[in-house]
Amino acid sequence: MTGVESLYPFLYAGAEGGDVTAVLAEVRRSTEAKAAEIVALRQRMADRYADRLTACAAAVAASFRAGGRLFTFGNGGSSTDAQAVAQLFLDPGAGARPLPAIALTTDVAVVTALSNDVGFEVVFARQLAAFARPGDVALGLSTSGGSANVLRAFDHAAGAGLVTVGFAGYDGGRMAAARTISHLFVVPSESVHRIQEAQTTIYHVLWELTQSAL
Amino acid sequence: MTAVLGGGVGALFERRVAAGRALGRDAELVARACHDMARRFAGGGKLVVFGSGAAATDAQHLAVEFVHPVIVGKRAFPALSLTGDVATLTGVASRDGVTGVFARQLALLADPGDIALGLSTDGRCELVRAGLVEARRRGLLTVALAGGDGGAIARDRLADHILIARSTDPRVVKEVHVTTYHVLWELVHVFFEHPGVLGPAVHP
Repeated sequence: MTGVESLYPFLYAGAEGGDVTAVLAEVRRSTEAKAAEIVALRQRMADRYADRLTACAAAVAASFRAGGRLFTFGNGGSSTDAQAVAQLFLDPGAGARPLPAIALTTDVAVVTALSNDVGFEVVFARQLAAFARPGDVALGLSTSGGSANVLRAFDHAAGAGLVTVGFAGYDGGRMAAARTISHLFVVPSESVHRIQEAQTTIYHVLWELTQSAL
Repeated sequence: MTAVLGGGVGALFERRVAAGRALGRDAELVARACHDMARRFAGGGKLVVFGSGAAATDAQHLAVEFVHPVIVGKRAFPALSLTGDVATLTGVASRDGVTGVFARQLALLADPGDIALGLSTDGRCELVRAGLVEARRRGLLTVALAGGDGGAIARDRLADHILIARSTDPRVVKEVHVTTYHVLWELVHVFFEHPGVLGPAVHP
């Protein structure tokens, strides 16, 4: 069987039929299973990272208190997470304190200029070189833990005296092996989607703990 | 929605559990939305996505899921986020006001056979509301991801499919939305693996 056939054997049990009811029922069960899976994964993250999230929030809050700014980065879906993190810190709405945060993924002129003229692996590192000061925070996300431009950004950030916060999946990949990330949160799942969902919860919790620690 | 702050790490994670489980109970609604979306794609339609604030990032995430699947070998579907063109967004907003930034783009870029998907964590985003109204007027399939009590979007049934995350915390709602659109993406592909259930192509 192909991967899809083993995931959804009901679709291949008979001839090329059009039994909408049966397919809808299986799709419904698949939805239920995925909802249960992410609830369980979040609980594992709570157990594994409670103390480290508290320590990370204290470091991030200390940076902001000293005038630091937050820089975020990632590729693809993780670029949208980088923007969500920056937006949450910068414009959290009523009842929370807005904090300076910049996503390094939003300026298409800069991203394409660096990619075209130098290479895609420097798009975040070069922006950090231009903007960042010692004591700022660099926060990067990669589901594989292996994105070259994210790793390069952490190399620069660690060398420049930034607080470094990383999000990865699977076994953490090269981000887990790098010595450049002080606060690393690895989501041990084989699904890119569940990894991203758990990472979203972790950065929301980190934000809330940071607000409390200010 | 205002921020609800406080509590230890355990309590913060615990706050997510009920809404996460509730998505499983809404599986029937998710399945039906997927089926209709798959039929629109089968008919040649594209997905047009929009949201403001944090939901703007979800709109872009959703578009990239469909255009560039993370699973190798899955087909690409056409999907466009209306949050990416900052020149048009600010141009329309400064000339005509911000409420119509998505509706205006839909009027110019969408076809009747397309799918419009709007995200609003409390169902009260006026920009998303206006986008859904314009999309429905043009015959698009309309899908809304909301939260809380569903706001005006749910009250006025502004979309064909309305999926409401069962939390009043906008961040928890966003987390449920991420799972919801990941599932929407995956299950649209499942329907395509079984073309007999795609039915006659939808041509309004």
